[in-house]
Amino acid sequence: MLGMEQAWLQPAICAVAFVVIALPGRVLPRSGAWLGPLAILSAFVIFWFVLSDLLKNGPATFSFTWLEAGDVRIMWGMILDNLSVSMLGLVSFVALGVQVYSWAYMSGEPRFGWYFAVHSLFAASMMVLVLADNLLFMYIAWELVGLCSYLLIGFYYERRSAAEAAKKAFVTTRIGDVGMLIGILLLYKTVGTFDISGIIHAAQHVGEPGNPLSSVMLTVSMLLIFAGAVGKSAQFPLHVWLPDAMEGPTPVSALIHAATMVVAGVYLVARMFPAFEMAPTAMTVVAVIGLITALLMSFLAVVMTDIKRVLAYSTVSHLGFMMLALGSFGVGAAIFHLFTHAFAKAMLFLSAGSVSHGVHGKLDMREMGGLRSKMPVTFACMAIGALSLAGLFPLSGFFSKDAVLGTVLAGRGPVFFILTLVAAFFSAFYMARLVLVVFTGQPRSHEAEHAHESPVLMLIPLVALALLTIGATVLAFPIAGHANFGQFIYPAGEAEHFQLWLAGLSTVTAGAGLLMGWLIYGTHAISPSFFRDRFPAVQRVLEHKYYIDDFYQWVIDHIVLGVGGFVALFDRIVINDVGINGPGRSVVQTGNKLRLHVTGQLPNYAMVMVLGAIVIGVIWWLFAVRA
Amino acid sequence: MGSLIAYSFLAALIVGGALGVVTSRNVAHAALFLLTTLAAVAGIFILSLAEFLALVQVLIYGGAITIVLLFALMLTRLEEFSNVRDNTQWPMAIIASVALLVVLVGAIFASRPSGAALRGASFQEVGTQLFTKWAVPFEVASLVLLVALVGAFLLARGGGNPGDDGIRDGGNRS
Amino acid sequence: MTLLHTELLSAVLFVIGLYGVLARRNAVLVLMSVELMLNAVNINLIGYAAFTDPGRVLGQVLAIFVITVAAAEVGLALAIILRLYRNRGTVNLNEINLMKW
Repeated sequence: MLGMEQAWLQPAICAVAFVVIALPGRVLPRSGAWLGPLAILSAFVIFWFVLSDLLKNGPATFSFTWLEAGDVRIMWGMILDNLSVSMLGLVSFVALGVQVYSWAYMSGEPRFGWYFAVHSLFAASMMVLVLADNLLFMYIAWELVGLCSYLLIGFYYERRSAAEAAKKAFVTTRIGDVGMLIGILLLYKTVGTFDISGIIHAAQHVGEPGNPLSSVMLTVSMLLIFAGAVGKSAQFPLHVWLPDAMEGPTPVSALIHAATMVVAGVYLVARMFPAFEMAPTAMTVVAVIGLITALLMSFLAVVMTDIKRVLAYSTVSHLGFMMLALGSFGVGAAIFHLFTHAFAKAMLFLSAGSVSHGVHGKLDMREMGGLRSKMPVTFACMAIGALSLAGLFPLSGFFSKDAVLGTVLAGRGPVFFILTLVAAFFSAFYMARLVLVVFTGQPRSHEAEHAHESPVLMLIPLVALALLTIGATVLAFPIAGHANFGQFIYPAGEAEHFQLWLAGLSTVTAGAGLLMGWLIYGTHAISPSFFRDRFPAVQRVLEHKYYIDDFYQWVIDHIVLGVGGFVALFDRIVINDVGINGPGRSVVQTGNKLRLHVTGQLPNYAMVMVLGAIVIGVIWWLFAVRA
Repeated sequence: MGSLIAYSFLAALIVGGALGVVTSRNVAHAALFLLTTLAAVAGIFILSLAEFLALVQVLIYGGAITIVLLFALMLTRLEEFSNVRDNTQWPMAIIASVALLVVLVGAIFASRPSGAALRGASFQEVGTQLFTKWAVPFEVASLVLLVALVGAFLLARGGGNPGDDGIRDGGNRS
Repeated sequence: MTLLHTELLSAVLFVIGLYGVLARRNAVLVLMSVELMLNAVNINLIGYAAFTDPGRVLGQVLAIFVITVAAAEVGLALAIILRLYRNRGTVNLNEINLMKW
């Protein structure tokens, strides 16, 4: 019978699907793309067996020796607990939905098979990442999902902007990944293991005699690992790649850049949480970064006009919420929000894809409008997703946001709490703006007038996700013997208690945001240009995304390229010309000079012989006769 | 005293002839200077009471070798004979030669040669030694001569015209 | 006339021959200069045979061998010069530079 021990089958099946589609797939009907959904479907089925086994027998780990060299012993194993199995379910479910959706959305595209191949590879790597029980193994999967992200962002590589965005995403996340790798190796050097449980054990006894791990070392390595999470989860200041990643196909944005890959950073911190907990400085950094991200990016989502970019900044902002919750010692709240956000945001992206499918590829909200009657299902789903993200009772987003707010107040105090509320307010506001601008009012372009509803195959995942967005509400209630989903995920943490005043405050905030959106974009009671006219400077800063991209560009142009140019010059002149070619050239030149002595003329040779004889005579004279 | 006078005369003849050989612009003149020198060397041999050597010198050098040299001259570039030029390295050659002379003279004086009275060896003595003690080297020397003779014959006999590089149809075409 | 005189004469003759070898351009003339050097050696040998050798014969025997080898050398060298002249049209040593770089 399938159980936890067979959990490795899930990534394995997807990996096999990748290999089969990528290599001999083109001889199969439809490039063998159908193998992708099939593989992910079977993985999803296996998930239920794993889950039931987990609920019956409790968490378990399986590992075997991967390679052994002297004292170095590296294991290859998987960890199956509530957290990883839940993530497994999330990944396989969203991947399944997105692949079904893609079947219709991507039909007629070139490289159809390749698209599904990379999707399968992504699913496999993401599951490995979730299951991995040691950091080295996880890092491999971590880089693999980055690779898939790169390949899928740059799927339309004929388009220069897509290729650039893919490159940007890859390089930007790499900055964090390098930090993470250093952190992992640092931990290995001090603790002597890559095993997560071993590291956590060492961290929990930090500072005790006999423990090689010092408090400073723990803080440093945790911060370095968090750098990897910052890159992958698009936290400030490495968030710049995620909005550009919207160049990829929309289902990719839904799967990778909203629901699964970008939450890998959150998952990593949650997985390492007992170790993070022992490093208060690192926790503060996590919280502050999360707060900055949540706040700043929610402002940006307000001014964007591209429908996918609004969602992208919203994603970054909500990832900030999760990090903030983690930094406020609330693993359960963070993962709870991760789930509700994953469902809602995947659905929103799929809806956005449906919208752009309906209006023939347009993505600019200013060219839409009045789509409610033409695309009713899409409208309904998008509205549900938007309201959930805004945090309106009784949708799941309300409960997860509530949990996050409670955690922040308990863990970090009122200042963080108020700023989080501000971010939540803007979250509601931009969601209202998105839905109202796209679906109400008059059509503002020819395509919007002739929009049509998407095919059924695309609507099925939408509806399923919409139902889940509503249904995820149950996660806020007692589940499997735990007070709620958060405690199910992290039994060691305290369960947040439902506080009525908190719920009321957050509802009021969300309602205020939605109301403001309604007033501006629904009834036009307030002109959309009201704020723009009054605060032009603020508007300008927002439209330039805080000039962060410009700053990075400046750094790259002036510092990186400058240093690189100098290094290249050094390499070319000192290393290459002098160091490598120099000896060779000097040998050639010396040889060219020296060969002139070979005149081929006998008298010259005779002369040299005579001179040699004279020299010998003189030497003889000096040493034999005079002495 | 008389022998010293004779010796000085012969030495002057030798040195003068030798200088003539190495400086003469005309190849035929050089050959004649060489003949003079060789004859004077034979005279030195007589003064040194080596009559047999003197005879050999006259026969082989004065007769055979000089004749062969003259043959060679006639078989090669006659048109240049009256005006041969020296190498460009001749100043260096003078310097090297003088330097070697200094070394040699220095060596001679450093070794302070001292000889007993002059004594000669009769034909009989030389012949006895040559065919008893030195018989084997003597036979080897004659073999060397034979080989050289055959080699010279093969080399000189092969065909070919001026301008041929001579590699394809070397002397062993027979 | 002493051994010293013979040696000095031999040295001078040898050096003159050497100059000829180094300075002359015509191969036949170089060959003549080589003969001068060989004669210088012979004078030296005979001188030592006459003045120092108790058996008196050794120097003369060696001189005979030198003359023998000289005869062989001249024969071969002239054959080579002839051959050279036929193939390359010259006996000038500095026009013969097949061994050049």
